[in-house]
Amino acid sequence: MRYFDARVIENRSLGGGYFVFRLGGCEPLAGSRPGQFVMLRGDWGRDPLLPRPLSLLSVAHDGRADLLAKVVGKGTALMERSPPGSRVSVLGPLGNSFPEPSSDVTDLLVAGGVGLPPLFMQAESAARLGLASGSEMLYGGRTSRDLVLLGEMRGQGIALHLATEDGSLGRRGRVTDELEARLEHWRAAASTRRLRIMACGPRAMLWAVGRIAQSCDIECYLSLEEQMACGIGVCLGCAVAAQTRPYRYVCKDGPVFPASEVMAHATAASTSPNEGGQQ
Amino acid sequence: MSSSLDTREAAGAPALLTNCGGIGFHNPVLTASGTFGYGQEFDALCSLRSLGGLVTKGISPSPRLGNPPPRICETAAGMLNSIGLENVGVEAFAREKLPFLRACGTRVLVNFFGTTFDEYVDCGARLAALDGVDGLEMNVSCPNIKAGGIEFGRDPSVLSDLVKACRAVIRKPLWVKLTPNTSDIVALARACADNGADAVSIINTITGMAIDVRTRRPKIATVFGGLSGPAIKPVALRMVYQVYRAKIGIPICGIGGIQDGNDAIEFLLAGASCVQVGTQSFVDPASAERIIREMEDYCRAQGVIDVRELVGGLAISQ
Repeated sequence: MRYFDARVIENRSLGGGYFVFRLGGCEPLAGSRPGQFVMLRGDWGRDPLLPRPLSLLSVAHDGRADLLAKVVGKGTALMERSPPGSRVSVLGPLGNSFPEPSSDVTDLLVAGGVGLPPLFMQAESAARLGLASGSEMLYGGRTSRDLVLLGEMRGQGIALHLATEDGSLGRRGRVTDELEARLEHWRAAASTRRLRIMACGPRAMLWAVGRIAQSCDIECYLSLEEQMACGIGVCLGCAVAAQTRPYRYVCKDGPVFPASEVMAHATAASTSPNEGGQQ
Repeated sequence: MSSSLDTREAAGAPALLTNCGGIGFHNPVLTASGTFGYGQEFDALCSLRSLGGLVTKGISPSPRLGNPPPRICETAAGMLNSIGLENVGVEAFAREKLPFLRACGTRVLVNFFGTTFDEYVDCGARLAALDGVDGLEMNVSCPNIKAGGIEFGRDPSVLSDLVKACRAVIRKPLWVKLTPNTSDIVALARACADNGADAVSIINTITGMAIDVRTRRPKIATVFGGLSGPAIKPVALRMVYQVYRAKIGIPICGIGGIQDGNDAIEFLLAGASCVQVGTQSFVDPASAERIIREMEDYCRAQGVIDVRELVGGLAISQ
């Protein structure tokens, strides 16, 4: 993990508020693994104050790193308007990663909306290892405008299964409907291959994926998002309730957790709040 | 330390050496409790040796789990937190965190608290007995569970008793970090000074809240949280100045929204002998080191030979 300055090389709009931020000078990120993230902040004064946690989309060995983001607030709006040459500070790579692709497992990569990056990178890693045929990407969003980088993913040679809530692209419905369909497909095929699920997206989608995996007894990993200020286990802002300990931290224990570890969070934490308690 | 100072003085560099509340610092910049972990987390990101000192996460007699999430949210030029004073407890601190701190090359103040009088006294005494602890900073913004959860630090008479009781068992420098959630910061500071505290740290976070209009829910689980960051600097500065002007007899460590060298200089001019950098360490993990350099640059540009001459140097026309 390093703290360094990088520059925006290219800022490519993908429509629908999505954009790919290509940075140069990210040599310290070489060797980053799918699921890892950076804390990023531009030269934008005092407001917004905190750096943004962003999952890595792709990292090259020549110091280029790609991030995918969607405009949702002030920070991402400023990022989206940052022209090439803009300076940004980067802290990373941070956090853990998804399990590596393996020749004896089929990985179902389940992405919801802007939760795509770690799964895109996982697919890229599978393709690099010659294991693209052992992974499937299940990718869902509200409309076709929420499904981005499809050409790039087809280029990885990975099977792509799409779902949109309005039916404008792929299956009409949620990505979890597509997941159930793919699991049914694998059951019908009576394959003896082991299945594994990896997912990133909105919290409600992740719990739904986790429940499906639990009901089918399939190994499942969820990449969580949470508000965080530091990214290095100091602010303790990104706590999530967990099975084996009262709280785990998305930044240093995650962001990738076995679903069984964090599904407790779906039923909410039960400690008594210390109202107004401060650090 | 002395040889490097000699070298700098010989080269005409301004002296940043200072003293606050019974502790000598090689510069006036410390890092604030709750924003710098137990020091080790920042080892790869900034030179701990370059800091004046660091203040640890608040320690209680036993480990605490903290509050349910969401625990933080960003606000205009600041952030709210309600972590719930999560920490490893005295024993694990001594065993797991202190060995690193002992060798880190900077002054170490341990922030501590309890939920009862006895816990404060017990915790303070145990921490003060540890080798490698240069001083203690008492966090009095903790709810008193025996008094309906009202913070210890809001009532000058409760605070007087607490400081007196802790002072009696703590043989090391004892600072008290005051809450700004009061109508009379001077009364609180005086309660500390009159009962043997060596310094006051001003200010802790300001109570606030934020609402998500889409869900109509509070943005943090406990509804209220502590506001920090540049948004609170004017309030912090005003309180430091009020206490300095009241001549309570002990020095002040200024805290609240410091982002750069000029911010730190403002606190010195208002009357602080040293400062703590808090939320800015989240924004820029190497900021404390940069702030020290910027203070040095300011002194050089302004012909200030000794940083201590700035303390209370606010110029007010009569």
